Amino acid sequence: MCCSHNFNEEGLAAGKRETFSIESVKGMQFFDPHVHMTSRTTDDYQAMADAGVVAIIEPAFWLGQPRTGIDTFRDYYSSLVGWERFRSSQFGIKHYCTIGLNSREANNEPLAEQVMEILPLFIYKEGVVGIGEIGFDDQTAAEEKYYRLQLELAKEAGLPVQIHTPHRDKKRGTTRSMDIALEHGLDPHMVIVDHNNEETVKEVLDRGFWAAFTIYPFTKMGNERMVEIVKQYGSERIMINSAADWGISDPLAVPKTAALMIEKGINYGDIRLVTYQNAITAFGQSGQINEADFAAVKEIDQTQKFAGNTVLRGGQQPRVDKSSMIIR
Amino acid sequence: MYSAFLENQVPTAYGYDAERLKGLLSAVIVQNVQPGVWDWLQEKAGTTASVGQFNTAFVLIPRKTGKAVIQLTEEQNQNIQSTRKGFSIKGWTIDRLARVWLVLQLDTSDQDRYFRMIENLFLAAEMNELVALYSALPVLAYPELWKARCSEGIRSNIGDVLLAIICNNPYPSEYLSDAAWNQLVMKAFFTEKPIRQIYGLDQRANQELAKILTDYAHERWAAHRPIHPQLWRCVGKFINEDNFNDIKRVAGSADETEQKAALLACHDSDFLLAKELLEQHPEEKAAIEGGVLTWEGIE
Repeated sequence: MCCSHNFNEEGLAAGKRETFSIESVKGMQFFDPHVHMTSRTTDDYQAMADAGVVAIIEPAFWLGQPRTGIDTFRDYYSSLVGWERFRSSQFGIKHYCTIGLNSREANNEPLAEQVMEILPLFIYKEGVVGIGEIGFDDQTAAEEKYYRLQLELAKEAGLPVQIHTPHRDKKRGTTRSMDIALEHGLDPHMVIVDHNNEETVKEVLDRGFWAAFTIYPFTKMGNERMVEIVKQYGSERIMINSAADWGISDPLAVPKTAALMIEKGINYGDIRLVTYQNAITAFGQSGQINEADFAAVKEIDQTQKFAGNTVLRGGQQPRVDKSSMIIR
Repeated sequence: MYSAFLENQVPTAYGYDAERLKGLLSAVIVQNVQPGVWDWLQEKAGTTASVGQFNTAFVLIPRKTGKAVIQLTEEQNQNIQSTRKGFSIKGWTIDRLARVWLVLQLDTSDQDRYFRMIENLFLAAEMNELVALYSALPVLAYPELWKARCSEGIRSNIGDVLLAIICNNPYPSEYLSDAAWNQLVMKAFFTEKPIRQIYGLDQRANQELAKILTDYAHERWAAHRPIHPQLWRCVGKFINEDNFNDIKRVAGSADETEQKAALLACHDSDFLLAKELLEQHPEEKAAIEGGVLTWEGIE
């Protein structure tokens, strides 16, 4: 999730502008392990599919304003395994999710109690690849309580954990998140620590956790910095995501960063690990990711569409020519 | 003796021989899963399982059974369809079948509890679970209880869920009100579902639906979009002075399938002008009367 941010026009004007061409990553496949598609349009889905994104993970998060009742939580979780999954399939993208109570809303304790009661209904669903995104925001006592409870839930269900690290007091918050996970007996190999930066990455890797980086303008990582990190730390246990949501963010962050990495001379094997394979290895520990499904979600729809028959899958969304003034 | 036994038999909550169906479905499951999986299913379906265990088992099924399409013999298929008319599991995946089977094991003695258990499964269901649950409607106990749920399902925009309700499912035509049925048929055309797989389409044709569909045809013409020829199948019995010009228009179409559809509709009609129109096409008329040209051949 993101915080509110101010635009810095000087920042936008500075630096040279380079145009991203999907030709530069043609034939490559990407897995974006953190993107909030609920907040995005169908144009984004099409652009992602065109740029080679074959599968995504949508973590349960804060919707921009607090929920006031349990039913809205239930409906949100249900939409992550239902409607959004279907919407994604229409664009040939395999959709997974992580389910959890986010840190901000953990501060509403009466509601948080009720959310904890319904989580078991959702975490065993098909395509739920972890408990997430959970962790600290303000680092309050309530946040800690529900973080711990959800770590226990993950352990019981044998699911990976996707940890959101705070924007403020990030370094200490990240350390504390890892300390608590170890205290609860979690294997660091089952824990993905998200939103890392130059200050946090070393400790996360040294302690055996997965280090995820969010390429997100203004508030998180830029992809030029990301290139430097891969140059310094390599590709082991490192993955990148867009965390695109309702803020100024970029659902093409993963393919764009891959393109930049190619340009900066990072080898193809390392690029593949950080933009595709590592996320699958980490979240695949849930037993819920099957790479054959990435192709299936495309092929089933397309062959049936080509047969002039939209049976069985509901069919893919027809493409429209965006540059045309005529709308039919 | 035998008649005395029948009189003393407790009436079941199902409108068909549910015990026979369970036996038939069990046999199909057994031949499509590993032995350990069948044991696991039986354990979860046992009377000692708690509500929580039952719900979790329902969710976990594909992890145990996999998701392959089931193999069944033509004999099994026919036995199933003769036990619950119109109910077919052909082409189902094993997880879908096992979920329907599991729901059939629920205790039906307390109607309210039974309803709540199943309704709660619907409320937290993901896509594949919804498909299984809506496929189960025709075999659930207390069939009258599921009308509102079925009508709600038709409002879904998830393709597979709609298919599970609209196609090869006898429940809607048997239990839905005219208004809900008409919405189902309209939605089937609107979302391009395979119309010929709608169970009871001819039996449930009605005047209001014919009006809704001809209005829809006019909208499509205005937008220069094609019209599914099966649409006229629902209009045939209700051809009148208001819509006869539409039939004439379709009969004069450059598309051969559309022409045939218009003439089939005329054959279904008692309206004099429709009969006359069919007379003008002796070749097609003979094909229809000879059973060579039927609605099943129109796509």
